[in-house]
Amino acid sequence: MEEPLSICINTQTPLVQLLSPWPATSRQRRVAKELDLDRLKEGQDYRLSPGGVTRMVLPLVERLRSRGTLGKAHWVALNPNAPPKMRYHDLALHNVSIGRARMLGYGVVKEAIWRLAHGLRTPGRPSDLLWTDDFSEYAYYNRSTAELLRRLDRKYDFHLFYIHDFQQLQVGAMLGGLKPKLFRWHIPFGPTTVPPEWGATFEEYLSHYDTVVVSTDRYRSALRDFGYQGDTRRLYPYVDPKEYGYPSPPEIASRCAALGLRPEDEVGLLVARMDPAKGQDRAIRAFARIARKFPRLKLVLVGNGSFSGAKGGLALSKSAQWRSELELLVHRLGLDARVLFTGHVTQETLDALYERSLFTVLPSSKEGFGLVVVESWLHRRPTLVSREAGITEIIRSGRNGLTFDPADEVTLAAQIETLLNDPELRSMMGDEGYRTSSLCSLDNAAIEESKLMEELAEA
Amino acid sequence: MLPYLDQLGPVEPVALAGIVLVVTWLVARGVGGILRAAMQESVPHVAATAVRLSSALIWVVGIVIAVQTLGVATDILLLVVAIAGVALVVAFRVPLENLGAKYFSDVYVPFKAGDTVQVGNHAGKVIEINPISTVLLSEDDHLVSVPNSTFVREVVLNLTPNAWREVVIPVTLDNNVDLPSFESEVRKSLSRLRPRLDPRFPPILTNRARTPGVAELSLVLFVRRPQDREPVATEANRRVSLVLEALRRPRRRWSIAS
Repeated sequence: MEEPLSICINTQTPLVQLLSPWPATSRQRRVAKELDLDRLKEGQDYRLSPGGVTRMVLPLVERLRSRGTLGKAHWVALNPNAPPKMRYHDLALHNVSIGRARMLGYGVVKEAIWRLAHGLRTPGRPSDLLWTDDFSEYAYYNRSTAELLRRLDRKYDFHLFYIHDFQQLQVGAMLGGLKPKLFRWHIPFGPTTVPPEWGATFEEYLSHYDTVVVSTDRYRSALRDFGYQGDTRRLYPYVDPKEYGYPSPPEIASRCAALGLRPEDEVGLLVARMDPAKGQDRAIRAFARIARKFPRLKLVLVGNGSFSGAKGGLALSKSAQWRSELELLVHRLGLDARVLFTGHVTQETLDALYERSLFTVLPSSKEGFGLVVVESWLHRRPTLVSREAGITEIIRSGRNGLTFDPADEVTLAAQIETLLNDPELRSMMGDEGYRTSSLCSLDNAAIEESKLMEELAEA
Repeated sequence: MLPYLDQLGPVEPVALAGIVLVVTWLVARGVGGILRAAMQESVPHVAATAVRLSSALIWVVGIVIAVQTLGVATDILLLVVAIAGVALVVAFRVPLENLGAKYFSDVYVPFKAGDTVQVGNHAGKVIEINPISTVLLSEDDHLVSVPNSTFVREVVLNLTPNAWREVVIPVTLDNNVDLPSFESEVRKSLSRLRPRLDPRFPPILTNRARTPGVAELSLVLFVRRPQDREPVATEANRRVSLVLEALRRPRRRWSIAS
């Protein structure tokens, strides 16, 4: 395809979050029809969303633009604390805003779907959810998004829409029209994700997309078993290795000291959002089993809430609540001095922590993929991964990592012990993991995603 | 010429014409409101058409009176319009018949694009419904164009499995109604009918045609039992009308960010 593609991306999480309430004054609302972020200061006036989907999509867009595959790109997201339109470099950002009351209803539904997909209990019967007033607000958000996409398409005539994740499931059906619609499902997809009584409704929504992309072959066959007949692809999630730094030993020491780590401490690292599905409690309990044997070992928990938990986002308070529960657990187990909660850290500090760690662990009860494992591999660190994480599809246990049943803390504790006692095994697994990480690199993704987009646009 | 005009000075006819137009506007609005209230339980699409037609008729009468008030003879104009109207109806009798039939079959004949139907000697999958004809794709891959009027005159068999479950309610929204709010409120209202609806299928609102000012949509409901079709359709129509009425009251533009 000679002409660069013009696409419109849609995610729930906005690329940019403003750090002060918007609009600060009514004048700001009037004058700032389009807020140019290049005139503001990152870190002071705004921040790029720290993780998840946006962290994958932005580097991809930048890479595809530099390759000449992409031309104009517009990005539509839910951003209640922002003006309707913003510009970030060459990207036009369009913000959907729904009222506070509707946001709460929408949040309830998206949280329930997320919990189901991650094998967690949901309040009430799943069959009731589709009939609740909250589901009407979920539809309101999706319809508002679809209407905005339609208006933008009339103006910019996109080649295709790239819609990300379950929060926007209905958008394809609501958008209609002839333009190709690519849908990427980021969370786990399995028999428990969609309760049987939702099947027909989900299939109706999915059928309006030209292609559905999932993160693993396992989810792809689950989608087929579920009865979805449309085109499906498996594309591994990815990171840009260039975004990861390798700090010098003094810098590592100073950044770790700032967090309260002493030079003699040994570090086990868990990087995950504060959420029950991430299973930090399992890691703490497994750690408690071996803590006495390894008196210098500290378990460092990095991460706080997501866009859903942030005040500028949906303000669902689950992350703070989960952290309190974990702190209580740590106290009960007598591990106050051995478990460190860092909250959100900068990329530089995260790099330092990876470099300092002896191993990393991802104990999620269910995990769409698990890109933190790839991050760990980029730092050549061995990793212990729950079998319920999508990334286990590329882990050969004992070679580039160790896998465990997330319900089995005893095995997890034993595997930690094995790694701590065997520096050679740690080194071998780190190196092997580093080689595996190329499967999840931006370079790979850029080739595969651009092929898919061009195929859809030309079809 | 109206008899009272001789007694008016040069300025008064203009003022009077203005008053006639204002009265026309008030009457059109009033009649529209009365019709909407009276047709609350009928199909919203039909009610909207009735309101539009009555408004157009009132305006035609109002404008003719206003023009007469200004002293312009309208007799010949009316005659020309009437003759042209009759000529058009005669010349386009068949297309108009199909156009009218399409309007009624949209509302009252239970099939939609994608369904498999049989009408007269023809059967196939409905792949297009245009103002004049409905295009079927027959089993031997032939395109069969059936005039819309046939669907009103003939017995139509909808052969789609479980077609009886589907109740399709056409809805037309102008841009005075915020579509996301409409959808959200209609869903909330219709969830009260859940005991009569198939629990696997909450109401679905699909696009039929969109222009910048008008959204033509279909609200699709799935009933549990065949005997619930008619009462569910009536009640759903009533609820849709109520939501539309409530959303129209504070005149709002579509309020999505852009």
